[in-house]
Amino acid sequence: MAQKGDLLLQMKGVQKRFGGAIALRGTDLSIRAGEIHALLGENGAGKSTMLKILAGVHVNDGGTISLGDKPFTTGSPQASIEQGIAVIYQEPSLFLDLTLAENVFIGRQPMKGVAIDWAQAQNEAARLFAELGVPLDPKRQARGLSIADQQVVEIAKALSMNANIILMDEPTAALSASEVERLMTVMKSLKAANKAVIFVSHRLDEVFAISDYITVMRDGATVSENPVGGTDLQKVIKEMVGRELTELFPKTENKIGDVALEIKDLTNPAYFRNISFTVRHGEIVALAGLVGSGRSEVARAIFGIDKYTTGSVKVNGKDLAKGSPVAAMAEKIALVPEDRRQQGLFMIAGVDRNISMESFDRIKGKIFLNFKKERALTETWREKLSIKYAAPSNPVESLSGGNQQKTVLAKWLATDPDILIVDEPTRGIDVGTKAEVHKLINAAAGEGKAVLMISSELPEVLGMADRIIVMREGHQVAELSRKEATQEKVIAAATTGSKGA
Amino acid sequence: MNFLSRLKPSGREGSLGLILIVTIAITGIINPRFLTGDGTRDLFTSTAVVALLAIGMAPIIIMRHIDLSVASTVGLTAWFIADLCAKHPEFTWVQCFIIGPIIGMVVGVLNGLLVAGLRLPSLVVTLGTLYIVRGAVYVISNSVDYNAQEMPPSLLDLGQKVYFGIMPFTFLLVIFAMLITAWFMKYRKAGRDCYAIGSNPHAADLVGIKVFRRTFLAFVFSGAMSGLAGVFYLMRFAQVDSTAFYGQELAVVAAAVIGGVTIAGGSGTTVGATIGALLVQTIQGGLAAIGVDAFWKSAINGLLLIVAIYADRTLARKSENALLAQRIKERA
Repeated sequence: MAQKGDLLLQMKGVQKRFGGAIALRGTDLSIRAGEIHALLGENGAGKSTMLKILAGVHVNDGGTISLGDKPFTTGSPQASIEQGIAVIYQEPSLFLDLTLAENVFIGRQPMKGVAIDWAQAQNEAARLFAELGVPLDPKRQARGLSIADQQVVEIAKALSMNANIILMDEPTAALSASEVERLMTVMKSLKAANKAVIFVSHRLDEVFAISDYITVMRDGATVSENPVGGTDLQKVIKEMVGRELTELFPKTENKIGDVALEIKDLTNPAYFRNISFTVRHGEIVALAGLVGSGRSEVARAIFGIDKYTTGSVKVNGKDLAKGSPVAAMAEKIALVPEDRRQQGLFMIAGVDRNISMESFDRIKGKIFLNFKKERALTETWREKLSIKYAAPSNPVESLSGGNQQKTVLAKWLATDPDILIVDEPTRGIDVGTKAEVHKLINAAAGEGKAVLMISSELPEVLGMADRIIVMREGHQVAELSRKEATQEKVIAAATTGSKGA
Repeated sequence: MNFLSRLKPSGREGSLGLILIVTIAITGIINPRFLTGDGTRDLFTSTAVVALLAIGMAPIIIMRHIDLSVASTVGLTAWFIADLCAKHPEFTWVQCFIIGPIIGMVVGVLNGLLVAGLRLPSLVVTLGTLYIVRGAVYVISNSVDYNAQEMPPSLLDLGQKVYFGIMPFTFLLVIFAMLITAWFMKYRKAGRDCYAIGSNPHAADLVGIKVFRRTFLAFVFSGAMSGLAGVFYLMRFAQVDSTAFYGQELAVVAAAVIGGVTIAGGSGTTVGATIGALLVQTIQGGLAAIGVDAFWKSAINGLLLIVAIYADRTLARKSENALLAQRIKERA
């Protein structure tokens, strides 16, 4: 049994690359028994890669990892489990068809002779659940369990295999306040039992409330490691963001006109509550916040893909029917979704077919579609957006990510919308194309279109938007004008809900 | 009895058993011969091959896979054994019972390597081996058929053997295979791994389950059962040609699914699969008894399958709702 303060895990200069992309460029981390260690960083900083290396899912390319005085053997999840490392993923990975007792003991069921001793498995599971203060029925199926209870099962599993290092990847992301409190109690009891808990979270208030140590990562490297007393919120935020706002955004001052889109008290209790804002013609409004804060869901509700329970959406002063994308499109709203592969494009169809998809009226002849018109339409947008492809009929999946994104934009711009909603318009595309997409969005605003942009990239938000609405956990926590917005203010609002900062 | 009660079928198998009994009763009312010793024996005899295959298939479906090659494998084994016996008159039932599963396992190893090793979809792989194996039978059989006189008398005698007036030897073996497999699936780690893999393949990797080994062995097991089923085929029909058992693979899938083995993986038992096979056969017998044209047979089979899937979905939704309700109650 480890004593409090013993060094359990040490990572030094750990590196990992995926093809040409560098995920970790030299990460250090030291974890001691009886400590809760928070791992912070923006999306893409390398936290998940690091957890997956410890979990045995990935193998590091360089650097050393030691467990106590022994080197860590990478390679398989089984090997990590045997070395006392348990991982609780963001999305619990339970077997929904099996009972809770079985989920706790899968692969390590207690045996009586040649047969599994189910009675003992159930008793043991019940004991672990009781120890965690959550009396779940070990004989029930995992199906139907809340995320919070699923995590309890995962933690019980970790305890049952005598793990002394427990990794939790954003365990609180999907929990309600009371569930978070319960989880924190569990984490404290793990700590009291001299286990080490590594905990990834974007909720900085929780991090400061429970952690003993805080490690900040940025761009695949460790920036700082401090005891919680040796740092503060402002410092951590600065370290997370790090870079100066150097990228140039071709922000143009557009003439701002009347209100085009008015959202009032929009609520869907599962995702967001009382969202109210307006977007004017010629204006770019950004919806900022963490992944999972409900931004995309608001966009989907406006466009009618999802329903909302209360509130209203007005377009140019007129009520918009809810739950109908057809009605939204008739009012000249366009939504460029965040996941272009799944939601934005027909990957195996040609570029021409994709661009004309929402503009059939423009390309139809008397009876049949007029493919000459389709070609002309495609050519127009190829020129405007400088989309690169060999032939218009080439499937979109053969295009680069940036050109795919331009194709989705072309598809929606071809409908000549009044209101353009773009969700993560530059995710996963290179810097050059990014600037082009920004230029396009600016141009759209310049033509008097109202633009609502969802983005997780702060420089983009700050560089592009006339106004910034910040969401946190489904609530609208701040509205900042272009003048008053800073990275620190947006992050503070998105992570703690505080408006001052 | 203690052993049986420990294998206590869950609600699903219980209600299936009930449906089977009701179906048998109805059929018996229409045609009293069905309830006689002879009728019951015929039911068991005619179900044995499909039931054995359904027992072999159950673990595979539980793992979210499928094995469509089973009927071709039955054809291959049956023809091959008949051929060997014709050339070696000294062979008895013993050789048949050894050679059959071995031939089946060869096909199983091929399926297993392709599905587990190369991670190819089992639907396509076993569709391929379905055609390959059947093609192989056509080629090597060279249109030669075998009849009773070329087969070992000891094997045919065993095929005629009946215990207690109703229980044929073959179905006794089916019950034996069913119980062993059911016990294995419930009380051995390897068996539980099958349920875990079918329930959440991604998570199975993460908790360190040996997915390759389990998947591979499940296909080898199914192959072995298919080989044994080939021997059963000879025992029942005492003749074989290259089209033996042609196209029957879907009847096996249907039996398993009707028996509550969920096609989406993660749940089901071999007891259910066996009851499913009996149920299909009983309904066929019942329909024949009330004089329904044999041409309707496959249509009614299909209808039964859809009803089973619908019942399965409804039950699953019900239990999911119940579990959600339990959660809300636990919260309160």
